[in-house]
Amino acid sequence: MKRTGILFFPAFDWSLGNSHPEREERLLYTQEQLFEEGILDLPQMKQFTPRVASLADVAQAQALFPTPSLYPETLDPHLIAAGSAILLGEARIRGEISNGFVLVRPPGHHSGATVWGNRGFCTINNEAILINQLRARYGIKKIAIVDTDVHHGDGTQDIFYHDPNILFISLHQDGRTLYPGSGFIDEQGGPNAWGQTLNIPLPPGTGDEGYHYVLETWVLPRLQAFKPELIINSAGQDNHFTDPLASMNLTASGYGRITELLQPDLAVLEGGYSIEGALPFVNLAILLALAGEDYHHVREPQKIGRSSLPLATLKPYVETLKKQTQMVKPDFTIHNVKFFPPGEWVYIPRSVYYDTEGFQETRQDFVRKCNHCAGTVYIESQRSHAKTKSVLVRIPFEACPQCEQAGYDLWEYVQQHHQEIHSGLLQNQLHNQHQVWQRKKD
Amino acid sequence: MSCHVGIDVGGTYTDAVYLEQGQIQRTAKVPTQEENLVETIVNVLETLNLPDVRQVNQITVSTTLVTNAILQKRLPPVNLLLFPGNGMSLNALPWPVDYQVLSGEMDFRGREVNPSNPSEWQRLSWKERSGSPELVAVVGKFSHRNNSHENRLADYLRKSYPKCQIALGHEWGQANFYRRSLTTHLNLGVTGCYQLFAQQLQTALSGLKIQAPIAILKADGGILPIGKLRPIESIYSGPAASVLAALTQSETSASTIVVDIGGTTTDLGLILSGTPLLSSRGAQIGPYSTLVHSLAVRSIPVGGDSVIETCEQGFELKNYRLGSAYCLGGKALTPTDAMRYLGLIDYGNRQLAEEALASHCPPDLRAPQYYQQLAGDIIEAVVNRIAEAVDSLKREWQDEPAYKVWEVLHPHEAQTFNTLLSGGGAQGLTKALGKRLGTPVQLGVYPEVSNALGAAMARPTFDCTLHLDTYMKRYHVQETGEQGKWMGSPRPYREVEDFLDQLVQKQAEQYGIQIHEIEKEPFDFFPIVQNYQTVGQIIRGAAHLRPGVIGRVVK
Repeated sequence: MKRTGILFFPAFDWSLGNSHPEREERLLYTQEQLFEEGILDLPQMKQFTPRVASLADVAQAQALFPTPSLYPETLDPHLIAAGSAILLGEARIRGEISNGFVLVRPPGHHSGATVWGNRGFCTINNEAILINQLRARYGIKKIAIVDTDVHHGDGTQDIFYHDPNILFISLHQDGRTLYPGSGFIDEQGGPNAWGQTLNIPLPPGTGDEGYHYVLETWVLPRLQAFKPELIINSAGQDNHFTDPLASMNLTASGYGRITELLQPDLAVLEGGYSIEGALPFVNLAILLALAGEDYHHVREPQKIGRSSLPLATLKPYVETLKKQTQMVKPDFTIHNVKFFPPGEWVYIPRSVYYDTEGFQETRQDFVRKCNHCAGTVYIESQRSHAKTKSVLVRIPFEACPQCEQAGYDLWEYVQQHHQEIHSGLLQNQLHNQHQVWQRKKD
Repeated sequence: MSCHVGIDVGGTYTDAVYLEQGQIQRTAKVPTQEENLVETIVNVLETLNLPDVRQVNQITVSTTLVTNAILQKRLPPVNLLLFPGNGMSLNALPWPVDYQVLSGEMDFRGREVNPSNPSEWQRLSWKERSGSPELVAVVGKFSHRNNSHENRLADYLRKSYPKCQIALGHEWGQANFYRRSLTTHLNLGVTGCYQLFAQQLQTALSGLKIQAPIAILKADGGILPIGKLRPIESIYSGPAASVLAALTQSETSASTIVVDIGGTTTDLGLILSGTPLLSSRGAQIGPYSTLVHSLAVRSIPVGGDSVIETCEQGFELKNYRLGSAYCLGGKALTPTDAMRYLGLIDYGNRQLAEEALASHCPPDLRAPQYYQQLAGDIIEAVVNRIAEAVDSLKREWQDEPAYKVWEVLHPHEAQTFNTLLSGGGAQGLTKALGKRLGTPVQLGVYPEVSNALGAAMARPTFDCTLHLDTYMKRYHVQETGEQGKWMGSPRPYREVEDFLDQLVQKQAEQYGIQIHEIEKEPFDFFPIVQNYQTVGQIIRGAAHLRPGVIGRVVK
């Protein structure tokens, strides 16, 4: 029998603030709906109990700054969400389940390669931590992520931007009209992974028909061409027509169809803040679709109030977008810093805004151009108004000897000579190792 | 002086014990007359020969009456009417009964999404030839949040068919529409036979001049007065009784693996720091998934009389028995023969045991060392089977879902267990089982009447789970299905604690039970936010009297 795993962790005792959208109540009605439907009694449904991820699990995907132990915010709920994702991923790899739904909070897709705090309700990136654990422990190579949250999955994109073995596709409401204001078609990946990031910004008002059209004519062919071993769906639910933070027009049963089209190995909950009008029904529809059951009778009590964008209007928009996407050519700046090991280093400056607490992170990203591997990544990062910097050095999965050596050379140099930098993380994904370093006070 | 009688009506035998101040005074065993359980109970009481019937404070009965009525499909037809609304298709789940679907829908807060439609009700078809229904169960999705559709239909039915008996789903006030429907249906179906039994038993006991109140043992190991029990809750009281029996013999806060080895079945249970483990899901009986609370138990088809057959790989432990063991005059080789041959038990004929073992060895391997080997392997096979079931039970405990950060960060501590072994096949397996499970093993006292002992020492269980929605101004009690209007403040604190206390008192009085040692769960508060304003709270809280026993048995 095809089995569907469910890991339901609503974190009923955790919130980002009393009236914050990410609060205790968020999955309460989802629980009521799922339990009342008796969905756990479906013969193919298997429920799993949560697990806590370790900081070492996190370190293979993300750098918590200044160091994991000095990171100011409590990480417990986040580590449970990430651990739960890993647990269900392992069950999938072992064949205990055919697919599964990590129905947990808090979410994670706005959390990027470097983390100074919570942003977009996310602290650590559940999917990225899951994916790198599956690659490290089970030798999985090619994974596709399809982010169907209404917001651009900028954190996930950031983490895998230079990784040719991860295909990241994000469908979202156009960044000119919604947080986080990114996810445009020219963001297609770093020099060693060009085209492995695909952003599909959609106009406000897009409904079921339009969304499914984009999936069928663009996303699915791209997935088929990539031939991933696993498909992970970042299943945000804020495209729903009742969502208070966004302006799209999807229905619960439309979400069921998304799941049916994508056939993800794992769906991982992301955003979605219409906690009464949408979540109970969208979650039910996703779960039913995963379990191969009929989701067409899942109907939210409210009717669509805002006007939907007709498919006839959306089609030409999508065709133009597709053409424009193909026309974008990589344009990278080579910037070889004096102390950098041999090779050509592409320089990408970045600025990240942390909306939860309201501060800015300034980053200088460098990646070594490489024809043999994903290339070593070097990121200097500074929190606004801070005097010191932190660094992330990443030796990628399947790194070539030159890139691995480059990573260690940089790591050594920074500790001995780069006085501005006070702490850092070395990710050696090749050997599933990491090192945390902090400059001793003089 | 406390004088308790416990009676366990089993499939083959009915056992009874009589205790004074926790000390077993008398025991009795009679064959069960399947067709007349009341007479069986009278029989066993007469055999027990109570010294003074007036002194008895309580009689507790554990009976298979309801279990058998369900499993043997002796239920009268029940008309099941559903308000399923939208959502998951009904046929996604296996329905072992037929039903009729009506329009009308509620949501998870108890708000009406679609009204019910009385004009449909006149067109309902009934199972009875007379055209008027006798038993009708009415269940709505989310009726535990709002029972008005169920109530309205019940009013209509009462008016139209004054003689029909009606059961409403919201009285099982717990989530799960599917299980609530089946539970309501089943409970209504068994009510008739249960009431007849209760009435006849009370009459018969008055005939014996026994005035003591009668209590019935439930699947969760608790007892309730015979007149207050919802009949379906008496299923699976046998395995519960054997866990309670173990509890009467272990230290107050010990963690115990309970193993009751019978002729063909071995029952297993788990006691964690003195409290039996409850199953996190409702009981399954035959094809019916219910909301009945039960202890987490396992029944595996292996016991002292299980038949052993030769096969290519050596031998196979079968799921059935063919009478008694060979060494006791039976026909087939059994684990009992292996135990006898190895001298682990002293009953049965050793010569016959050897014969049985020899017949399973090839002619060239018929010598004592091979019999020894085979007997050892058989015992290992039995013990492995039991150990696997123990592991699965422990997994159920460790895999209990957790919905709060606190719960995940404070998992159940790894416990040191001991094993309490009882039943006919127990003695010979003590050593092997202890080795395999890696725990000390203790043999139970009075193994032949342990279930009756468990029943005699059982005490009431009690749960009162409150769901309060201060914005909707409604409250719900899970166990009784009570729904009412909340008159208190939108963000109560102390107020809700007092309210729960009152509910507990009221419910205890209704059940006619005394409550001590009530255990309260911390309340969960969910602020309800609209447009960044907190407009109310959903509050969940509960009080429990966990399954337990009134004392320890005095040896």
